[in-house]
Amino acid sequence: MTEGIVHMFDVVAAQGHGSVWTVLFIGFCFGAIILYSRLDKFEKMAGFMIFEDTLAPRMAMMTVALSGVGFYALVQGGFAEYQVKPTLLGGLLVGAVLFGMGLVILGKCPSAFFVSVSEGRVDALVGVIGGMVGGAVFTLTFPWIKHLMGPDLGAIRLSDVLGGYELMIVLVLSLTLFVVALLIPTVDYHDPADENPKR
Amino acid sequence: MPRTIPWWAGGILMSLLFFFTFSEWGAGRPIGASTGMAYLSEVLFGLDADSHEYTALIETSGAWEGVMLIGVFFGGLFMSLFVTKTFHISFIPTLWKARKNSSVPSRMVWSFIAGFLLVYGARLAGGCNAGHILSGGSQTAVSGLIFTVVALGTGMITGRFFYKRKGSCS
Repeated sequence: MTEGIVHMFDVVAAQGHGSVWTVLFIGFCFGAIILYSRLDKFEKMAGFMIFEDTLAPRMAMMTVALSGVGFYALVQGGFAEYQVKPTLLGGLLVGAVLFGMGLVILGKCPSAFFVSVSEGRVDALVGVIGGMVGGAVFTLTFPWIKHLMGPDLGAIRLSDVLGGYELMIVLVLSLTLFVVALLIPTVDYHDPADENPKR
Repeated sequence: MPRTIPWWAGGILMSLLFFFTFSEWGAGRPIGASTGMAYLSEVLFGLDADSHEYTALIETSGAWEGVMLIGVFFGGLFMSLFVTKTFHISFIPTLWKARKNSSVPSRMVWSFIAGFLLVYGARLAGGCNAGHILSGGSQTAVSGLIFTVVALGTGMITGRFFYKRKGSCS
């Protein structure tokens, strides 16, 4: 296992997507923002889907609204390139269904559960272990299920489907998300454990 | 330091981090997490790239996200110890107690199943909420939009049946 971890760092150092320290720094900030906004909490993520808390959708909409415009500007300025994931329709639909069920039951996503563990939540740790087994089972079953994941529609963006209008799409999507994020009322699930962490 | 930040501040900070990561000054790629999760599990269980097709397939992106997730853990740990001071050992979330039950074994079994579904589902879909919803949505990717609608829709339906209000059903 130690070999595998050393190999992981070697691969990152060699691939030109930032140095190992840059990648660790990005992760550190990502985890810090998730914890500081309390997005790692079950009450925020599962609470959103049972309509008892609105932090997660508002924050996600704000992030995508700003990033949408920012990414467009970065790409236009030649400082970044779009890297769109392929639309493998079968895998995408079945995977999203399983993911949605897991998300509402565990109440965390595959980065927030690490943040939750760092806060001392044992149930999140069990979720991570479940995820580790899930990842391993996927790797082992991949040769059989890869045939069921298609059809592959390619790495397409909305502008490819609508035949252009890229700037317009980015602006409309960002503005819509921004306005909706502002209009959604604040519903904050009151967690007594936040006031008295010893409980 | 305040012990939490409002949603809009979280959104602004998150998008600034995304700009940095996405641009050539940072990593020149969007943020994702679930590929890293699968990669870490391959490291843990010793599923090497020579004999496993999927390990070879995610060799570069998985390693990047795996290292990032190590950073995520320490970022969370730093904040929970020194800023929010919320670090404490806990077993069951408050809302779970209110809507489901107070049994530790029940929460643990469901956590394991849910963690499994999360990562297995994310790998099947080719990404999780970080890769598909946040990064995908920001790039107006069709895959990201489909994932967002289906995953959140399923989550809301599942939540309705899974967390029945106490007393509202016989």
